[in-house]
Amino acid sequence: MHLPMQSSQHYPKPQSNEVVRTVALMGTFVTVHVVGRVAGYKGETERTERERAVDRALDWFYKIEECCTRFEAGSEVMRLATRVGVPVPVSTILFEAVQFALAVAEATEGAFDPTVGYAMESLGFNREYRTGQTIRTALDSNFPVSYRDVRLDADSQTITLHRPLILDLGAVAKGLAVDLAARELQSFENFAINAGGDLYLGGCSPSGGPWSIGIRHPRNDGELIDSIRVSNRAVCTSGDYEKRAANEEQGHHILDPHTGTSANGVASVTVIARTAMLADALATAAFVLGSSDGIQLFHRLGVDGLIISPTLELYATRGFRECH
Amino acid sequence: MDKSTLLLAAIILAVFGASVAAGHPHWGTFTGIAIILLAAGLAAGTLPVHSQDFAEERTSPTQRISNGLITLSSAAIVAIYAAGYHRTSPAAHRFDSQIPQQRTSATIAIATPPPGANPGSAAAPPVSSSAAPAIKKNTKRPSTPSRKAAPSSASDSAGSSSAPSPASLTNPPIEAAAAPAGATKSAYKDGVYLGWGSCRHGDIEASVTIQDGKIALVAISQCLTRYSCGWIAPKIPGAGLPDLPSQVVERQGPKVDYVSGATESSYAFADAVVAALSKATE
Repeated sequence: MHLPMQSSQHYPKPQSNEVVRTVALMGTFVTVHVVGRVAGYKGETERTERERAVDRALDWFYKIEECCTRFEAGSEVMRLATRVGVPVPVSTILFEAVQFALAVAEATEGAFDPTVGYAMESLGFNREYRTGQTIRTALDSNFPVSYRDVRLDADSQTITLHRPLILDLGAVAKGLAVDLAARELQSFENFAINAGGDLYLGGCSPSGGPWSIGIRHPRNDGELIDSIRVSNRAVCTSGDYEKRAANEEQGHHILDPHTGTSANGVASVTVIARTAMLADALATAAFVLGSSDGIQLFHRLGVDGLIISPTLELYATRGFRECH
Repeated sequence: MDKSTLLLAAIILAVFGASVAAGHPHWGTFTGIAIILLAAGLAAGTLPVHSQDFAEERTSPTQRISNGLITLSSAAIVAIYAAGYHRTSPAAHRFDSQIPQQRTSATIAIATPPPGANPGSAAAPPVSSSAAPAIKKNTKRPSTPSRKAAPSSASDSAGSSSAPSPASLTNPPIEAAAAPAGATKSAYKDGVYLGWGSCRHGDIEASVTIQDGKIALVAISQCLTRYSCGWIAPKIPGAGLPDLPSQVVERQGPKVDYVSGATESSYAFADAVVAALSKATE
């Protein structure tokens, strides 16, 4: 190991009852932060138990990524793409992720649509972040596809693709991993999970009280445009600054399923919800819908959110304002 | 017919009923009262019934869909958690066996900016997250020998599809030990490799751990992206939202616990990994 020594004189040392661990996963950085001790253990055993809980939480990210990534030809979701017209038995992870994605597609009338995978790949969102290798899938996809081309059978836990298509589970999978990690850490009252800005905040922050969460300014890096205080909620922000496409100057990672190009009506969307998978999916949907319809969607579905227009006007639900 | 028209009709009818009742002593009283009752019924029909419909339209399906999605997401989590516990326990064991390895490279605090990590101490957690990505303004770039060479090799290999392809596409890098495709040969040499990637915000150094010829772990060893010091955003006039919440101002500086919204460049990171991997194949 040739890592430089840590120079932490400017930074507060973590309290002895905290664990913070960060790894690179899902094309982003995942941090698990646990505050407090495991009941029933003492000393070194207690610390080991805590570390193990953090390991298990991070393990969910590995598992879900392995199954849902579009960037590996061998992943379950990509193997599914090669079999059209037949029911394919799938894992619980993939089935539940797709089932939820389709339900959100239904509820948003296709503003969120998981079948944009091939369009995204074609636009250059096709690079595996670890190896830098790009993936190009040979797919006979001359016709437009939508979420209606995917059928589920809960009894046999199978998925049937009625047309050649690639499912993009990016938004749902990352949220799902955050939620499962949160479930894994339930024995701790106070914890935070941060997956590239998709957060779940359990209990209280180390300084006491709700966690304080800054909302990234969509145009000025490192600046906050707003901040909120939340507890036992997921917070997800999608911005047009993320993951610009390799071969498109203005492209970002959220496609309008109806046009197949990047949605440009808003600069960023933040959603507060009970689960990260819901927050992330609805942030994506609102991104496509634009500020007015997006806020209506939040009201209709009972979540809170903030939408920032490209000209930096802020639109928020009342509940969001109350989180200040 | 909208509500106001109906209401107007009801009032006219009521007035007419009253005049009938007053003007015709013999049959008028009965008919007049009947007309007034009709008017009242009409008026009643316009107001509460419609608003009830309206309320139902607004809340009932709303609640159903909303609760439906919340319930569905919660059910998904429970289902996967329950199914995953047994099915994935072998994976968990593999993960356990990787832990000693990880402790040396993975406990690196990515989100925390100070250059480097604490490689030696397995148990010691890295820097507190209250120092979150915010505090990057004071970081200085160390002079690392690998740094100069890395970005060029990164852009070379990342820009084209002829990037080094040491393993087949079907070779999952994480938990590769479990991959059934034992046929895939790896050209990676065991060890820990560092590489730099750049983006317009600054540089990121990745550390890639190769174990048994496979990528066992990827982490950020240094994150020197430059963020401006302006953590207190300017007030946006007329936005209907307060200026940056008082607690941020009160606590003087970047004191939020976390930031929502991706704060790092994933492409710079990918470049850094490619640079590191290119060393592993040398």
